[in-house]
Amino acid sequence: MIRTFLHKLLQLVPVLLIVSFLTLALLELVPGDPSISILGADAPAAEYERVREQLGLDQPLLERYGNWLSDAVSGDLGDSAVRPGVSVWSLIASRLPVTLQITVMALGLALLVSIPVGVAAAARVGSRFDRGVGTVTSGLISIPQFVAGLLIVQLFVFNPDVPRIGTAVLLWFVALTLLVNWCRRFVSDREGGAGSVFVGCLVLGLGLLAFFWWPSFPRQGFSRLTGDDGLAENLRTTFLPALTVAMSEIAVFTRLLRSDMISTLQEDYILAANAQGKPLWRILFRDALRPSSFSLMTVAGVSLGRLIGGTVIVETIFNLPGMGRLIIQEGVIVNDFPIVQGGVLVIALFYVVLNALVDISYAALDPRIRRGVV
Amino acid sequence: MPLLTRGFAVASSEKRPNTWLGALLFVLGALSVWVGSDLLEREGGLLRIGLVSMGLGAIYVGLDRTMWRIRGHRVAVDFWLSVAWLAVIGLAAVFADWLPFAESRDASKSFSAPVASRPDLFSSHPLGTDTFGLDLLGGVVYGARLSLQISFGAVIIGLVLGGMLGMLAGYFRGVTDEVLGVLTNSMLAIPPLIFLIALMVAIEPSVLNLSIALAFLGIPTYVRLARANTLVFRQKEFVVAAKSTGARHGRVLIREILPNVLLPLVSYAFIVVAVLIVAEGSLSFLGLSIPRPEPTWGNMISAGANDLRRTPHLVFVPGIVMFITVFALNRVGDHARQKWDPRESRV
Repeated sequence: MIRTFLHKLLQLVPVLLIVSFLTLALLELVPGDPSISILGADAPAAEYERVREQLGLDQPLLERYGNWLSDAVSGDLGDSAVRPGVSVWSLIASRLPVTLQITVMALGLALLVSIPVGVAAAARVGSRFDRGVGTVTSGLISIPQFVAGLLIVQLFVFNPDVPRIGTAVLLWFVALTLLVNWCRRFVSDREGGAGSVFVGCLVLGLGLLAFFWWPSFPRQGFSRLTGDDGLAENLRTTFLPALTVAMSEIAVFTRLLRSDMISTLQEDYILAANAQGKPLWRILFRDALRPSSFSLMTVAGVSLGRLIGGTVIVETIFNLPGMGRLIIQEGVIVNDFPIVQGGVLVIALFYVVLNALVDISYAALDPRIRRGVV
Repeated sequence: MPLLTRGFAVASSEKRPNTWLGALLFVLGALSVWVGSDLLEREGGLLRIGLVSMGLGAIYVGLDRTMWRIRGHRVAVDFWLSVAWLAVIGLAAVFADWLPFAESRDASKSFSAPVASRPDLFSSHPLGTDTFGLDLLGGVVYGARLSLQISFGAVIIGLVLGGMLGMLAGYFRGVTDEVLGVLTNSMLAIPPLIFLIALMVAIEPSVLNLSIALAFLGIPTYVRLARANTLVFRQKEFVVAAKSTGARHGRVLIREILPNVLLPLVSYAFIVVAVLIVAEGSLSFLGLSIPRPEPTWGNMISAGANDLRRTPHLVFVPGIVMFITVFALNRVGDHARQKWDPRESRV
């Protein structure tokens, strides 16, 4: 176990080296360098030379990379080239939490929606509900993120009654179905135990909550968790960006869980549990969910790594101070090389470490892999 | 519907529907779209949108039932509609210069056109105009031309380069495989949008440059796909037979493995094109792809986003066209993959 762990960690090193070198090489292609951003466009040529020398830009590419690397290994990502004295670490430290919060919320939201929907669709394969889920998910996958973001703004910010009433009606419909199912037990002997009454009432309550206490969401801006306005304001400003990011993930997760769940439900032990007369929700959520969730966990882990580097669009639409805009607007556009290098390194680090963790957690989740059976 | 059914409850267990009911639904749907899009011009937007989407839904169901009745079995209407959409948009993009669109590119020629008019299917601006009076239908079609050119170009470059590298990795294994594996992993670890943005700041946004830049996104995917597919075939009898008769590596790769690997790779092309259209759109949305006056879907949406509240159609006309195109590509791609990818069809 520890050996595989160390082996995985060792594999990350070349990837990170190549990523950081590629970043530097790519920046080399970008016309202009920090000296122009510092001095403006029409300083004398000698001035540019002096600034370049100060920043160490007159050295050859490989030497610069070596210098940066030896600092980076000891945890020092250098100072911003354009704003002297501002360390790259402090910039990243102020921006990373925003991006992390949005991606984690998006992932949580996606799992929260996709697990019940995926399980329910798999339990009734081929039903009207299942086919509806299929249509909706293939639609969600095809919405480009920036269109999704603008659509969400149009609905939630400019026409808040549409999502408010829509959500409430949908929740009431689900609650009604559950409660009617429960009432059927008086006619036939199966379907719906006390659990579905409980869940039904819960969903009914949620629907009422959505109808009467629908929060208003701001068009843009961000309120820090540690700021004066606290958690509620923070959630209010991050919900729409997280929802935008979550939309396509919801679709991917639902499809994945549904198809894995379908094959799990054909196993004999499920048949046995069914024959014992265990309640349906218990079979689905206690017996079948865990063995069906391996690929979901993999994809969720990989998505988290991918999303951390992919929030530029929502940060632009909702005007959030995250990593994406740090790298683009304060890095690439003004040629602030150290910011770009540091930012990309941090994002790549998250990506590869999360991927490695996913690989390792396989073993923890599935005893067959741990013992080398599969 | 029994719970926990074994396998899919296939639709053929349902009853064959009536033709005329389906046809009626179709007609009612068309009527509702017409009323929603044209007659109720003075009414609120939400009512019209509701009517049009209900009508489209009815048209779809009606078409499904009618075809089912006529053919005697379920017809994948969504698949054929996707094919039709791609054909229409492809042909329109090719023949855009000969089609009678109102001016959609040069703002100095559209002074007489109404500004920011809403979509009205039976006027000279069927999808409305933007804030310069430029025609949105023309813009969408010219945008399709650029989008399709760029992403198909990128896919072809990615397919050739990535496919080649992947086949080499899968065939020779060993050091080649390890090195290419590390390289692909590194390329995948760089956040794609940030990579593209950095690249686009460095180079001139032209169709060729954008194709090359976007091809970098496709290459790692194709390396992995080609490698996985080559692994399936490299131990097969016909490859071993070719090798034992003394064929060189090059000949085995090109004559034996390539024909088997090519089709699955091409079947993924639709889905990769869909991804790249979105990537190009994102770049364009951020202002880093082909700039105005050339309309692209992304720069049309980005321009419209400035005044989303008052003129939402500037965003959602190109947005919906983009959505349908991506949806159609995904649908056709899924179909092609199930048919042609040995790893999918074996299951």
